Amino acid sequence: MNSIKKFVSNLLKDYFSDQDKKELIDILTLSLEEKVEDLIESGTPKEEAIKLSLQEFGSAEDILEAFPDKTKNRKRLLHTRKSQLLFSGLAYLLICGIAIFVNLTFLDFFGGILWLFVVVIGVLFWPLVMLYLFLTSKE
Amino acid sequence: MISSDVIRGHVDTIILKLLLEKEMYGYEIASVIKERTHNKFNIKEATLYSVVSRLEARELITSYVGEKTHGGKRRYYKVTPLGRAYYKELLEEWKMLREIMFDMLGSDNS
Repeated sequence: MNSIKKFVSNLLKDYFSDQDKKELIDILTLSLEEKVEDLIESGTPKEEAIKLSLQEFGSAEDILEAFPDKTKNRKRLLHTRKSQLLFSGLAYLLICGIAIFVNLTFLDFFGGILWLFVVVIGVLFWPLVMLYLFLTSKE
Repeated sequence: MISSDVIRGHVDTIILKLLLEKEMYGYEIASVIKERTHNKFNIKEATLYSVVSRLEARELITSYVGEKTHGGKRRYYKVTPLGRAYYKELLEEWKMLREIMFDMLGSDNS
């Protein structure tokens, strides 16, 4: 019966917090095992009963469908991450623009030092972090 | 077969109603739904069991391990008093919805 638990865990691997996931995996596994037992009791061979149950079970989306609040929260989170990414990107361009402009216009005043690269590379961490958060929440 | 979008909001109601009639285990609920709707509404078991776990987490139903007639142990679910009250609310909502839809489309047989 271990193949059932593996199958369910695999379906849920990208969703839910660890605590919620554990409970859900347990309950889904149990219900599936009960179905397999029902099928065996009514005369289906064990291997076939397991295969049939897993085939008919459904996908990760079918599980998420049972939690409308969670999918709504996910959409909201994705939306927030998107605005954060956009904001950080625009702010990065603005900061770099100012740095480049000031540095190049008053190059003599700064003794010919091109410090704009420090700003351009240094501030890059911001949109990069936001990009990372955006991509991980999209998974 | 009806699309799951239309009926999604009513799965809770259906499960509570079935469990109020009779205490059942997970796969039994799935079988009864299949049988009663003559396969017109084929709810995925993944969805069904997840809804059951959500209802249990909200204490609208509780579970206990019982013996199946001519068979092994099964986890049976039954509705709590809270679940019963919630079901009544859902039922009122459904009656309202039915009336509205009937007022709008009721006599349209085209």
